[in-house]
Amino acid sequence: MTTEAELRQRLAARQAAAARQAAAAQPVAQTSPPPTDFRVSLPSRRAQVGVLARRYLACLAGEPASMLVVVGQAPLIGWLCTVVWGSVERDTPSLWFVLSLSAVWFGCITACREIVRERGILERERLLGLSLASYVIAKCVVLAGIVGVQVVLLLGAVEWSLALRGAVPLQLVSLWLAGMGGVGLGLMASALAKRQEQAVALVPLLLLPQILFSEFAIPADQFASVVARVEKLMPVRWCYRVFVEAAEIEVAWGTVAGSLLAQVALSALLCALVVPFLWPKRDLTG
Amino acid sequence: MKRTVIALVVLAALLGGYVGAAHFSGGAYPTPGLAVGGDQGWLRRASLSFWEDIQFKDFDRAASYHDPAVQDDVDIPHLIQRMFLLKPEQLDFMSFEVVLVEVDSTGLRGRVKTRVKIKELTTGKNKEPEVMLYFHRATLDAPWFMELEDSLRKDEAEDDKKH
Repeated sequence: MTTEAELRQRLAARQAAAARQAAAAQPVAQTSPPPTDFRVSLPSRRAQVGVLARRYLACLAGEPASMLVVVGQAPLIGWLCTVVWGSVERDTPSLWFVLSLSAVWFGCITACREIVRERGILERERLLGLSLASYVIAKCVVLAGIVGVQVVLLLGAVEWSLALRGAVPLQLVSLWLAGMGGVGLGLMASALAKRQEQAVALVPLLLLPQILFSEFAIPADQFASVVARVEKLMPVRWCYRVFVEAAEIEVAWGTVAGSLLAQVALSALLCALVVPFLWPKRDLTG
Repeated sequence: MKRTVIALVVLAALLGGYVGAAHFSGGAYPTPGLAVGGDQGWLRRASLSFWEDIQFKDFDRAASYHDPAVQDDVDIPHLIQRMFLLKPEQLDFMSFEVVLVEVDSTGLRGRVKTRVKIKELTTGKNKEPEVMLYFHRATLDAPWFMELEDSLRKDEAEDDKKH
C-alpha cells in the first residue's frame, strides 16, 4: 500500500525532473539570435500569379451569394432572349448581336469592381515588390473561368429552346473571347476609379460605344472612315462577325479564323493595358 | 487523394447536370448514344433520322415514319419535288438541324421545326429553307407517326394561295 510520504516523494521527483527539462530547454531559446532581417523573399512572378489567383478564388468563395448573382444573370438573359426570339421561332442577326454584347457586358460588369475594392491591399503589397503584371494576370485567369461559365450558361439557355445557326463550339469560343475583352475593359475601369461606385458608373461609358459603333446604329456601308476604324476596336464587332460567318451555308473559314484572331489580339491588348493604368501609385492614407 | 476525389465528384456533378439539362430540354444538347429528352427527344431524333434518310435517298425508310396503314401510299420523292421544285436527284441535302420541338397540351400532337441546307445541283445555288414536320399519336402510350404529307402539302397550299 502506498503511503502519503511515498506519494509526496514521487511528486517531488516529478517536479524536479520537469524543472531540469525546462532549464535544459531555456538556454537554447536564449542563445538563438534575435531576428534582424525583415525583408520578404518574394516568389517569382509566375509563382505570384498562382498565389494571387488562389487568394482571389478564396475571396470569391467567401461570397457565394454574389457569385450566384454574377453567374445566374447569364442564363436569365439567355432565357429572356428565347422569350423574345421565340416569337419568330428562329435566330436573327439581332440575336447574335445581343449575345455578343451580353458576353462583353458580363465580362465588364464582373471585373469592374475587382481592383478598386482591394486597392489598399494592392498598394501595400506593391511596397513589398508585388508584380503588377502578375496581379493583373491572376485576376484575368480567375475572371476567365467565371466568364467561361457565364457564356456556357448564356448559350446553353438560348440553345435550350432555339437552335442557333452555326457551330456551337465556335460560338462559345467567340463569346468567351468577347467576354475577356469585357474583362479587360472592366479591369481598366476598376484601375481608374477611386471608389467602387465610380467603377460601376464607368461601365456604360465603355459599353454604349459597342452599340453606337456597330452596324445596328447605321448600316456599315454608310460609316465614315473614322467610325469604321473605331468599330474595328470593338470586341462586340468581332464576336458578331464570327456568328454571321458561322451561320453561312458555306462557311468562309478564313474569315472566321481572322475574326477569332482579332478577338484574341484585342482581348489580350485590353487586359495588358490594365497594367499601365495601375502604374501611378495611389495614396490611400487620407 | 482528397483532391482527386473532389475533382471526380465535381466532374460527376457537371456531367450529371449536363445530362439532366439535355433531358429536360427535350434533347436540345448532344448526348451521343444516349436517348434522353422524353417525347421531345424522340421527335428530335426521328426528325434528324428522317432527313438523313432523305439525304441518302432512302425513301422507303423515310416513309417508315408514317402510320403503317398509309406508308405504301406515301410518295416522298414526289412530295419533295413539290416542296423544293426540283427532283430529289437534283438536290444535295448538305446538312440539317432541329430548330425547335413542341408537343401540344394533350401530348398527342407534336411539331418539329427543322432547318435544311440544300444545294440545287442544276444552278449551284445554296438555300436554307425551314421545314415543319408534324407528328401525331393515338394515345399517350402509342408510338408517334409522322404526317409528312400534311407537312409538305401545307407548303403546297401556301404556294397555291400565293398564285
